[in-house]
Amino acid sequence: MRRIFQIDGDETECWLSHDGNRFVLNTPDGAMPCRLDPTGAPGGHVLRAGGRVQELRLAVGPEATFVHMNGRTHAIGRVDPAERLAGRDGAAAADRIVAPMPGVVVSVNAKPGDHVKEGQPLLVIESMKLETSLAAPRDGVVAEIPFAAGDSFGLKATLAQLAAEED
Amino acid sequence: MSISKLLVANRGEIAARVLRTAKARGLATAVLRHPSEQEGPAHLIADEVVSIDGPTPVAAYLDIPQIVEVAKRIGADAVHPGYGFLSENAGFVAALEQAGVTFVGPTSEVIDLMGDKVRARGFVEERGFPVAPSAIEDDDPATFVERSRAVGYPLLIKPSAGGGGKGMRVVREDSALESEIETARREGERYFGDGRLFVERYIERPRHIEVQVMGDGQGNVVHFWERECSIQRRFQKIIEETPSPALSAQQRLDICETAAGIARAVNYRGAGTVEFIYAQDGSFYFLEMNTRLQVEHPVTEMVTGFDLVAEQLRIAAGEGPSAAQDDIAQSGHSIELRICAEDATEDFRPAIGDILLLDEPQGTGVRVDSGILGGGKVTTDFDPMLSKLIVHAPDRMQAIARARQAVQNYVILGVTTNTGYLDAILAHPDFASGDISTGFLAEQADTLTAPGEDISDLLIAATALSDDRLVGEVMQIPEMHRKMGGWRN
Repeated sequence: MRRIFQIDGDETECWLSHDGNRFVLNTPDGAMPCRLDPTGAPGGHVLRAGGRVQELRLAVGPEATFVHMNGRTHAIGRVDPAERLAGRDGAAAADRIVAPMPGVVVSVNAKPGDHVKEGQPLLVIESMKLETSLAAPRDGVVAEIPFAAGDSFGLKATLAQLAAEED
Repeated sequence: MSISKLLVANRGEIAARVLRTAKARGLATAVLRHPSEQEGPAHLIADEVVSIDGPTPVAAYLDIPQIVEVAKRIGADAVHPGYGFLSENAGFVAALEQAGVTFVGPTSEVIDLMGDKVRARGFVEERGFPVAPSAIEDDDPATFVERSRAVGYPLLIKPSAGGGGKGMRVVREDSALESEIETARREGERYFGDGRLFVERYIERPRHIEVQVMGDGQGNVVHFWERECSIQRRFQKIIEETPSPALSAQQRLDICETAAGIARAVNYRGAGTVEFIYAQDGSFYFLEMNTRLQVEHPVTEMVTGFDLVAEQLRIAAGEGPSAAQDDIAQSGHSIELRICAEDATEDFRPAIGDILLLDEPQGTGVRVDSGILGGGKVTTDFDPMLSKLIVHAPDRMQAIARARQAVQNYVILGVTTNTGYLDAILAHPDFASGDISTGFLAEQADTLTAPGEDISDLLIAATALSDDRLVGEVMQIPEMHRKMGGWRN
């Protein structure tokens, strides 16, 4: 079964199989026999994989799995390739500024039709009592800035949209 | 003036911490809760949980008439404000006074004086205590920019009504001065409803050292020694410790006596903290006085053995402090780590999520003051601090080792936290040697957030094998196909 895993923004496509005796994780780096056994502690497991033995704690969320291992916590996003093909993602990320947090627009420094340079501040938002300036992700033309100063917005709202690049 | 029932007008870890001491002293206890708020440890400890309303949860906790009304309705004879919210609000103190309810803290006059950073600074300077060179807008608004220039760069702009680092700006070049003044003014207006500013000389590589004081309001003030709080991100502390590794015995006495002197000068009542900027050459300047219990008070409790909330309650009840200065000694070393829901690799962006699994560290010399419960939800309604991990050990090196072990074993799954980042700070050689300043985190940003060993394969294996749906699908594939595998089918 194929799955896409996201760690720190990087995606890895893997295939999990079972050869009758054990699970094998096929990664771009090769095949890795692996097994996972519970320890009895909440979320506690022993992972045997690639010649290593690791104790870890894990919890499975709706979209990501959280793993605590060697004193660090990691979030691993799980994507079913079939669902991705169904088109839940779409739209080039480099064309948009997406709200990193819910918040309020403090000021808008550009308007539709403006030619902007990469790094040029387009709007200032306030989230969690902190002002943050959001800059153009690339050179381009502003297509839309849907919010005005004083408007509040939710997590992942599109705060600015650049016109698609012409090839 | 004895107290029999205490309302804690706060939430999260500090409400739980205050309630524990209050209950141990035999008081009846109550705490507040906004309907949209998650249940926390405080709600399990308090005898009574009183619902409060407001357009936002924070607004409810700032609603003076409502909270005073709650105190009267439930028959509380005292209110402990914790930190933040109404803890330094003179209007709240006055309203409680009028309602005949004891405020666990100083008088409204002292809160007023110390709450106005400019007046506080003037007061302290007049009485001969050290302050940094500065310019105050109110003295003559027309010449503020000019006078700021005269203070010399680098300088620090601060809102007069500010605190907690909000709205503070460092200016290093003259060209940025005017625009930074405008930004600071906007932030001041928004956070504090007051756009007045002042600037002071920015001390390069300063350390933040503060002193815990306790007064009885009758002129008697004792100090509980210092805390070093130089590890800050965005001007907010995330690691505090005591004793400070920077101070000699004589410097320690000097700074602590200065703090006690300032508290005596205002005839201070209750627990307070005098904050200083400590320069690399050993000089120190008054920064501000916080007229409340501090977030980081537990490190003081760990090394002195005193329960500062119990002292606060004694003083509020008119019993006076339980100790004379000679009885208060530092023993061993304590470090506090603020566990925050935030992504240190993304400029400390606050994180939200469900707490899927929570397992807090425990053991000798390990204390956790927690504001969360497993199964809870972390939202952006409140500050991102979830809990505090405090350790105590015979000396600083052992305290660092203990803190590292404990924070590595702090399991919070489901929301991004700064535990790994805190561990990276503790592991840094400059932290170990005590060579730190308030700029440390910014200077070492790349080192502290450097990715560790690539263990992606292991993480993916654990994720794949714990995905019941995936494993189910794999096991349903007929034997033949399974053996054939299917990579790039």
